[in-house]
Amino acid sequence: MRPTLFLCKRSVWKGPNIVPLPIVRPKPGEKQVPIRTQARAATILPNFVGLKFQVHNGKIYVDVTVTENMVGHKLGEFAPTRKPFSYKASKNK
Amino acid sequence: MVLLLGIHFPDSKPVIKALRSFYGIGPQIAAKIMAKHYITPLARMGSLENKQVLDLTADLTGMTIENEARRQLRRNIERLRDIKCYRGMRHALGYPVRGQQTQTQIKTAKKLNKVDRRG
Repeated sequence: MRPTLFLCKRSVWKGPNIVPLPIVRPKPGEKQVPIRTQARAATILPNFVGLKFQVHNGKIYVDVTVTENMVGHKLGEFAPTRKPFSYKASKNK
Repeated sequence: MVLLLGIHFPDSKPVIKALRSFYGIGPQIAAKIMAKHYITPLARMGSLENKQVLDLTADLTGMTIENEARRQLRRNIERLRDIKCYRGMRHALGYPVRGQQTQTQIKTAKKLNKVDRRG
């Protein structure tokens, strides 16, 4: 209904942000080694589906398994960079 | 009284207002529908011909409005929550989704940003 909403995200001539990642397809019967990366801005492409990634969040590498619904999002969206606030009662006042 | 999609509208009601009373129809889509059926922007419900009313009803039944639009909205948020992306998590927590500050004043986000959003 509103194509401009999707076109305003990023210039069409640029295409998706494709980052050269060291993707190695596992042979059948073998486990896939997670792909370590700091490229949080890399767009998830349809051929990433089923792969395991370790995305840097500034401190550690967070495990991300790509599913079909994630296509079009960025890798960084699945590795939160902030710790959720939790109240800790202090013993000595 | 004019019947449009099962709802009675008084004759004095402007057509654009009647259309916009449906969830999922805003000023732009209402104007587009009215232009399609040669209805002037200031026309009122009483001035519509029978055929025009039937055409409008036929148009509205084919669109994603009311409960269908609300369901679509909820589906989109649920999708974000299920893939556990940042926007989905912010919806689940009821916090602002697009990088706004949260130190003060997040009343709107608290009210609206839910997974089970009412629309």
